[in-house]
Amino acid sequence: MSKKVCFLYANPDYVVDGMRSALGLAVENNYAYGAVLVDMPKLSEHDQENLDWIRDMEGEVYSTVPANCEKNGLAPITLEELGEQLREMDVIIPFGPR
Amino acid sequence: MAKSLGIFVTNPGNMQHVLGITKAAKAKGSQVKIFFTWEGTRLAKDPSFPQLAEMADDVAICADSYKKMGFDVNDVPAGMTPDKMATQAQHGAIIEDYDRYLTL
Amino acid sequence: MKILNVYRSEPNADIKKLVEIVTEGREAGEFKLYSGDVDYDKLVDMVYDADKTICWW
Repeated sequence: MSKKVCFLYANPDYVVDGMRSALGLAVENNYAYGAVLVDMPKLSEHDQENLDWIRDMEGEVYSTVPANCEKNGLAPITLEELGEQLREMDVIIPFGPR
Repeated sequence: MAKSLGIFVTNPGNMQHVLGITKAAKAKGSQVKIFFTWEGTRLAKDPSFPQLAEMADDVAICADSYKKMGFDVNDVPAGMTPDKMATQAQHGAIIEDYDRYLTL
Repeated sequence: MKILNVYRSEPNADIKKLVEIVTEGREAGEFKLYSGDVDYDKLVDMVYDADKTICWW
């Protein structure tokens, strides 16, 4: 059965691979989301394709950091809105170290 | 009591917790599957990894992450079989099939 | 819905806020992995007792 899964990223060095893990779950027929809570580097073209693929499979990657939304096209979200989204998730995955 | 536990390891600093939880869960008769990804794959080189692989029912590693950490995928850690040098589908199997889920 | 919040380190303000929202109106417990000797036996019991566990950083 498909589950709703949200990855949380609080370390800039772990965002890209964490997005790959989210994509991996989307490919396995889950609804995969991510949320970046820290300023992150600009995504490469390849990583941007992974983001597009997550969206193609009805997922999304959000960020509470406006700069990430501007440079990487992530969907803006407030911490409060993210908390409400997390209430709906079957699995919540704080990824890597902080 | 639920009888299976899946552990997703993404932090290379958590070997002590992975070992402690696996040991406790096995003592309670649980089935335990562990999947290591990204920097977590560095734990395959921890001296206690063979002990962990022996204790757990199923241990898998993201081969792509393992390569990115500079390891050779043909260098299969002790206690594992080559088919467990795998993909993120192993994580999907934990999400799908296990009663309880932890990320460390 | 019973939620277990496991903390791998001292939670910061963001984590506390998210926990507050996620657990509002729900039964919730917590376990600190960062404070001294960890009772893994107790932790596993708590994980099985909860419907969902969140391992915060």
